[in-house]
Amino acid sequence: MIKQSDGISLSAIISPENVVFISGSPSKEEAVLQLTEAMLPRVSGLIGRKALFDRVAEVEKLNQVLESGFYIPHAKFPELDGFHAVLGIIPEGFTDQTTGLKVRALILLLSPHKPAFFQRHLNMLSLLSQTFQPELIDKLAALKDPAAAAALITGK
Amino acid sequence: MVPNQRFKQVFVLSTAMLSFISFWKAASVVLCDFGSSAYYAGGIAMKAFGPAFPWFILGVMLFSGLMLGVYTESCILFVRGGVYVVVREAMGKVMAKFSVSALVFDYALTGPISSVTAGLYLGGLLENIMPLLHINWHVPGRAFAVVFALIVTAYFWRENIRGVEESADNNLKIIGFVAVVAVLLLGWSGYTLYHRGFTLPPLAPVFTEEALGWTVHFPWLKAVGIIGIIMAFGHSILALSGLETLAQVYREIEDPKVRNLKKAVVSIFIFSVLFTGLLTFISALIIPSDLIAGKYAENLLSGLALELQGPYWGRLGMQVLVVLSGVLMLVGAVNTSFVGANGVLNRVAEDGILHDWFRHLHKKYGTTHRIVNIIAVIQVVIILVSGGDIFLLGEAYAFGVLASMSFNTASLIILRFRRRDEEREWMFPINLRYNNVYIPVGLMAVLAVLLSATGMNLFTKKVATIGGLAFTAVFYAIFHISEAMNEKKARLYAPDEDNEKLNLRREADIQTVVPELTKDRCVLVPVRNPNNLVHLAAVLETADDETTDIVVLSAKIAKGIQSGGETMSEEDREVFSAVVLLAEKYGKTVKPIFVFSNDPFFSMAQVAQAAGADEIVMGVSGSTGAEIQMERLAMAWGMLKKPDAPAKPVLARVVWEGRQMTYQLS
Repeated sequence: MIKQSDGISLSAIISPENVVFISGSPSKEEAVLQLTEAMLPRVSGLIGRKALFDRVAEVEKLNQVLESGFYIPHAKFPELDGFHAVLGIIPEGFTDQTTGLKVRALILLLSPHKPAFFQRHLNMLSLLSQTFQPELIDKLAALKDPAAAAALITGK
Repeated sequence: MVPNQRFKQVFVLSTAMLSFISFWKAASVVLCDFGSSAYYAGGIAMKAFGPAFPWFILGVMLFSGLMLGVYTESCILFVRGGVYVVVREAMGKVMAKFSVSALVFDYALTGPISSVTAGLYLGGLLENIMPLLHINWHVPGRAFAVVFALIVTAYFWRENIRGVEESADNNLKIIGFVAVVAVLLLGWSGYTLYHRGFTLPPLAPVFTEEALGWTVHFPWLKAVGIIGIIMAFGHSILALSGLETLAQVYREIEDPKVRNLKKAVVSIFIFSVLFTGLLTFISALIIPSDLIAGKYAENLLSGLALELQGPYWGRLGMQVLVVLSGVLMLVGAVNTSFVGANGVLNRVAEDGILHDWFRHLHKKYGTTHRIVNIIAVIQVVIILVSGGDIFLLGEAYAFGVLASMSFNTASLIILRFRRRDEEREWMFPINLRYNNVYIPVGLMAVLAVLLSATGMNLFTKKVATIGGLAFTAVFYAIFHISEAMNEKKARLYAPDEDNEKLNLRREADIQTVVPELTKDRCVLVPVRNPNNLVHLAAVLETADDETTDIVVLSAKIAKGIQSGGETMSEEDREVFSAVVLLAEKYGKTVKPIFVFSNDPFFSMAQVAQAAGADEIVMGVSGSTGAEIQMERLAMAWGMLKKPDAPAKPVLARVVWEGRQMTYQLS
């Protein structure tokens, strides 16, 4: 059994640079594509464009919108050594066809595909879903500034 | 926080919250039926074949050890066994229907013979006490016994309609009390024998014309030698009633099931030999033969108490104890006859050979009231027809006991060949191994004895033969017609095999169930597929029932808003039937919960957090795989976790054949 790892914090993955405001009301797939584009420069040199887009598109089919209206498309890559994330805020939101839930915040999370890292991966998913509750999402949707959004999430 | 608006109906399955019992309690449940024959078997046997009766009662009780061994093997093979299941598996439905019809005949007689005997013992005691109280009233023994028997039957009819189950605790207290009385009686009898000396009873049975039955017309069939022994054995076999109760109670025995079953069987055997066998034997040594045949014929153990060496008040006190213990045990046997017959007929009904009309549930109490009513009516008729004549009842008894024991033993022999590859945790001894088959020499010898007694009883016990065959024919016809009607219905609707009536309780919220979880640890086991319960088996195998609540959760996907009108489908019931069977197999208590939710992981996390679960154990999903299951659970877990929730470590496990994946939820 792998014991719980400490050191999981949102401030390590969320900063003003990786918060993206998406205007309009894109579909779920379009929103994920925009976040993947924003993710590409952060993992360039580690993961190729095609590999990134293909893998995200593949796992995206398996991911589900949470009851809170928050969405975490996530994928694991053996090339990575740590978490990489891009947060999308969609003030107008979109309606998920599968669940009928309104989505106004989503985060693309990439994790290392290593057995030893899986516990931390689970902890991060748990922490994200615990943090992004409807009240926080309401507040984020009312903002316009990535720095303010990052500060609201990380408390800094 | 995320509100609960998507978490819909919660159903709690209460039939599966079986409280498993220790081997002591299991033994006491069986003994309340099995041991009660001590109060009447000796007197009936004496009437049939004279002073040799104690040898044969003792012999039958020693033979009970072999029969307990036979039933041990069949219980281990079938957790939910009993003669119907065992015979159906080995010989098919026709023979199973026949054997269960015969068995129901004996259940119908167990109640009357027990309640009438209790009435006779009580009447005998009152007859002795009345003069001491200066009440000049002669107790009319048999009439009093009939009235008493009717009251007892009415009482247990009402209890069974209301579904009030006699707890195994009560059985244990009764048997404890009976054991104390038996020890006192044995001790005092020893003292009496020491003072008076004794002569051993004769070995040769001397049959009355009535006890010879139709064999009086066959002079060549002399009631001597081995024939006489078989005849006398057949007249004494009624002391063996109650073995079917062992098969019924096995499902409730706690883990480790087989070891506890063996302990229960040994306890039953020792108690029976000492209580029924030895006390009956000692009665014959102490009570003069003419008194056994006359004054004490209907209450032999009261006679033993009254004929002991000592002052009258002491002997009367001993009689009070004997009667009190007897009434408690015999009255318990009346209840067993209701519960046993109801259980057997329900088992048969589950198999589609009893029309659904019989299984109709009482509107208020949820019991199968029509079956209970039928049993009560039959017992009342038998009590009235007997007129309190215990010998008439004894004459009719044992047809079903012998038939069911013979069928059960023959079935086990057949299953040794038919299911030769099945591992058995225990086998009835004396087996010859040939290739991969254990030829059951021991079982065959037991069957030979049983068939001899069955065959002989058919000729000697006229009332049993006529009554038993008529009753069996009627019940067989009911089963046959029911089956034909059910088959017709099955062609119109979906078949409903192995379906059991689930006792469901609807709750508005999971929080109302939480106070019922009182043990130190809690393990949540989500289930979905009745054919994929490897993970539940793994939990049941290792969990300590004393300290761990095992909550089995089935979440059904129900899209849309809460309507409150969702009901369980047959597939859902199938899952729970499989869960109940598995829990019974391991002898561990589970609390099955069924919820409607639009996300199974959401409901898992919610139930686990509400219940304060220490562990969540999932089976692997063929469509997503273990890693994705873990990810979804982790997200649902985090989403529902309250910020102020205690940082309690909760393990999440995915278990599949030979492998498991374990992580900790944060």
